[in-house]
Amino acid sequence: MNKKRILFVVIALIAILAIWATSVYNGLVSLDENVGNQWANVETQYQRRADLIPNLVNTVKGYATHEKETLEGVIAARSQATQIKVDASNLTPEKLAQYQKAQGDVTTALGKLLAVSERYPDLKANQNFLELQAQLEGTENRINVARKDFNDSAKQYNVSIRRFPRNIFAGMFGFNKRAYFEAQQGAETAPKVQF
Amino acid sequence: MKKILLYTIIFALLPASLLAKAYTVDEVPNVRRINAREYVSDPEKILSEKATMRIDTLLSNLEHKTGIETVVTVLPSIGENDSFDFAYSLGKAWGVGKKKKDNGLIILLVIDQRRIQFATGYGLEGVLPDAICKRIQTETMFPALKNGDWDTGMVNGVQAVCGQLDGSMQNDGSGNNKGMAGPFYTIFIFLGIFALSFALIYVKNRKANCCPKCGKHQLQRSGSQVISRSEGIKTEMITYTCRNCGHKVIRQQKTYDDNYRGHGFGGPFIGGIGGFGGGNDGGGFSGGSFGGGDFGGGGSGTSF
Repeated sequence: MNKKRILFVVIALIAILAIWATSVYNGLVSLDENVGNQWANVETQYQRRADLIPNLVNTVKGYATHEKETLEGVIAARSQATQIKVDASNLTPEKLAQYQKAQGDVTTALGKLLAVSERYPDLKANQNFLELQAQLEGTENRINVARKDFNDSAKQYNVSIRRFPRNIFAGMFGFNKRAYFEAQQGAETAPKVQF
Repeated sequence: MKKILLYTIIFALLPASLLAKAYTVDEVPNVRRINAREYVSDPEKILSEKATMRIDTLLSNLEHKTGIETVVTVLPSIGENDSFDFAYSLGKAWGVGKKKKDNGLIILLVIDQRRIQFATGYGLEGVLPDAICKRIQTETMFPALKNGDWDTGMVNGVQAVCGQLDGSMQNDGSGNNKGMAGPFYTIFIFLGIFALSFALIYVKNRKANCCPKCGKHQLQRSGSQVISRSEGIKTEMITYTCRNCGHKVIRQQKTYDDNYRGHGFGGPFIGGIGGFGGGNDGGGFSGGSFGGGDFGGGGSGTSF
C-alpha cells in the first residue's frame, strides 16, 4: 500500500514537471519567434533603403557629373551590404556586428552623397531629388524604430532565459542569449564635409 | 525708491515670461479625453479659435468616414528633442489610431525649431507615404509657415491631408474598444455566469429536498393548499413527503398570482429590458479615447 502511494506521488510529480517544462518551452518559443519577427522587420527597412539608392544615384548623376567617386562609393557600399544574408536563427553577436557595420558603411556613404549634393542648387530644387530625400529620411526613421523594437524583443527574450528557474530549461532546450544592436561607433559625430 | 523696486521686479520677471516652455510628451494635453470632438492640442493658444474649429471639423469628418485618428499639436518648444522622435513617441504613448488598423496620424508644429512634422501609423503608410507628406508640407504649408502665419499653414496642411486620405479606407467601427473585451471574452463571461447560476440552483435544490428526519435528499412535493390571495400574491402551504422514511414537511410559499388582473403588476420584467442598450456610443459631446494604434516610423518633416 505504501509503495503504491509513493509510486503514485512520484508519477504525479513527474507529470507536473513535464507539464511545466512544456509551458516554459512554449513560452520561450513564443519570445524567440517574436525576436525573429522583429529581426525580419529590421531587414525589411534596411532593404527599403537599399532599394532607394539606385534611384537616388541616377538623379544625382544627372546634375553632379563630377562626383563620380562619391556615387561609386554609395553603390559599392550598397552591394556590400545586400550581400550579407543573416537569418534570425543564426543571429550570433558576430554576424549581427558584421551586418551592422556593413549597413553603417552605407549610412556613411549616403551621408557623403547628400552632403555633396548641397553644392548643386539645381539638384536641390529637383522635385524627384526632394522626394527621394524625404523617403530616405523616412526610411532612416523606420530603421531606428525597427532596431529599437528588435532590441526590446531581444531584451524580453534574454531576461526570460536568464531568470531562475527558466534558465535551467533554456540551456537544455538550446535557447541562447540574443545580441543587441549597439549604437554606431562615431554616430555621435556628423560627417564633416571638406570643400 | 518704490518705483525703482517696481521696475526692477518687472524687468527681472520679463525674461522668464519670454522663455518658451519646452514640452515633453507627457506634458502635451490629451484633449480627446475631455472632448472626443477635439483634435487640436494647443496649450499656449498659438492657433486662433477659428483655425482650431476648422481643423476640428475637417478631422472629425475624416474620422467619421475613414476611422483615421489624428492629433494636431502646436508647441512653442520641445527642447532639444528631435521632432520625429517626439511625434512618434506621442503617437505610441497615446495609441493614436484604431488598434487593428493602426491608422493614426500625428501633425506636430514646433515653433522654436521652425519645423512641421508628420508621423504616420503603420496602417497609413500606404495611403500617406513619406513623399506625399513631404509634398503636402512643402507645397501647402511651407509658404505660410515661413511667414509665421500658423493658422493658414496648419489649416491648409490639414485640408490637404484630408483630401489625400478621403476615401482611402472605410470606417467600419472596428476596434472602438482597446481590444480588452473581444467576442471570446464576453462569451466566456456569459458561460461563467451560466455555470455559476446552475451550480447555485443545484445547491439550493439539494438543500431543499433534504429530509430533516432521515437526512436523505428524498423530499418530494405531495400536495398543496392555498391559504390566501391578496394584491397579486398567492400564499400556499405545500406538503413535502420523504420517499425514504415517509416523514412529512409543510412549508409556506408565496408566489405571484397568475390569475390576478389588478394594477401594480409587471414587477420584475419591465426593469430588466432597458439594461442592454447604450453600449458603444464613442464620440458625441463626451470624452473619448484612442484606439491603441501602433506606429512604425513613417512620416516626414520640413523645416521652414
